[in-house]
Amino acid sequence: MNLKTAWVWSKKPHWDKYYRPETLDEALAILERLWEGAKVIAGGTDLLAQIRKKEQEVEALVDITRIPGLDKIRMEGELIRIGALVTHREISQSPLIRGKALALAEGAGWVGSPQIRNMGTVGGNIVSGQPGADATIPLLALGASVKVVSRLGERTIPLTAFFTGPGKTVLDITSEILTEISFPALRGNEASATLRLAKRKALALPILTASVVVSVDGEKKRFDHVRIALGPVAPVPFRASDAEGVLASAPISDELIRKAAQRAAEESNPRSNPLRGSETYRRDMVAVLVERGISKGLDRLEVKHG
Amino acid sequence: MAKEKIVIEVNGEKRVLDVDPDCLLVDLLREDLGLTGTKIGCREGECGACSVILNGKIVASCLVPAIKADGGKVTTIEGLGKNGELDPLQKAFVEQGAVQCGFCTPAMLLSARHLLDQNPQPSLAEIKTGISGVLCRCTGYVKIIQAIQSIAKGN
Repeated sequence: MNLKTAWVWSKKPHWDKYYRPETLDEALAILERLWEGAKVIAGGTDLLAQIRKKEQEVEALVDITRIPGLDKIRMEGELIRIGALVTHREISQSPLIRGKALALAEGAGWVGSPQIRNMGTVGGNIVSGQPGADATIPLLALGASVKVVSRLGERTIPLTAFFTGPGKTVLDITSEILTEISFPALRGNEASATLRLAKRKALALPILTASVVVSVDGEKKRFDHVRIALGPVAPVPFRASDAEGVLASAPISDELIRKAAQRAAEESNPRSNPLRGSETYRRDMVAVLVERGISKGLDRLEVKHG
Repeated sequence: MAKEKIVIEVNGEKRVLDVDPDCLLVDLLREDLGLTGTKIGCREGECGACSVILNGKIVASCLVPAIKADGGKVTTIEGLGKNGELDPLQKAFVEQGAVQCGFCTPAMLLSARHLLDQNPQPSLAEIKTGISGVLCRCTGYVKIIQAIQSIAKGN
């Protein structure tokens, strides 16, 4: 092994202090005291790799995984509430999520590998703010909001207003902690699906992830509404609202689905990238996956369409 | 940096250790405990060579701060066999020729053990998913999968 290889191989992430608060108040107090030097760690699967590559500099880590009550999935009235510390594995295997938000179980099941899904959390997936976050994209399609707590109180932010750029969100990481994600459980006339294109079937970042929620009227002849979320084909994961508008309350037909899928491609803003392909290719794939996603949603509702 | 005291059970043995705040589980195992069966490939969760079973779940130990494992139970490849006997999976890997250079083997075995503990009769697709977090750069996947299939329940 030459010296350079040895150096890269042995490079370890560094921080000076590791806090393990037992309550949310304690965690928030530590953040307030340390301000910019501290970073919250949950599963750590993104953060530790970033610290190692010096994309993040930290003096202290504040591990929130010992705080009770943030690791539950539950249904409350019409809402599904997911604690920020629930792991991708727990989401992908949850009967409640599989039954009432299948697109999310599918998306979480694509994250990394079993090793990553066992540690990585849904809260972390959102807070990392990556445009291709596989659990975040279905949550956008499901119309999710996040609860964020600080010493001053709490606020609820719709995911559509959460992301501001690659790796950037409206969360003030010096004073706030994301604690919960909530969204309406799908009803009988609604179905969802997440489709994904990547170089391999495991351990590969997505070229494209597309999530759709489809709802139809009582006679299964017309769409009620359709929600389409896409990434990473813009600086942030986003809803293809023009395409959604094409389908809202319209009669179900394959021609219209193709038209909406084309509109989603036009709304996307991918760049040519050596890992993910050319701009044209990526745009074309948006149309393909959106079309398939809507069809899959309709199939899951046993709606015939032609 | 002030060291912190942690207690972890490694392969059934309780250990009390003083660790640096930024010590990672993989380095604790290899450097402090001499358990070098756990390998280091990429140090960023991509290759899976550092996989161990932590509290019943397969994890990449390069992404786990040692302090996070405080109070937990860790199984490494050194703890897979019992009473001087190889685990049936290890025997199957030997019999099926599922080892080439050997670098990924500990992680493959632990991934497979974790899979079979949760799902004693996995399908081919489930086996592939189960070991998908570990890369074999000899590309010897076929033999590895055959070895796992050979001891899956029903065979």
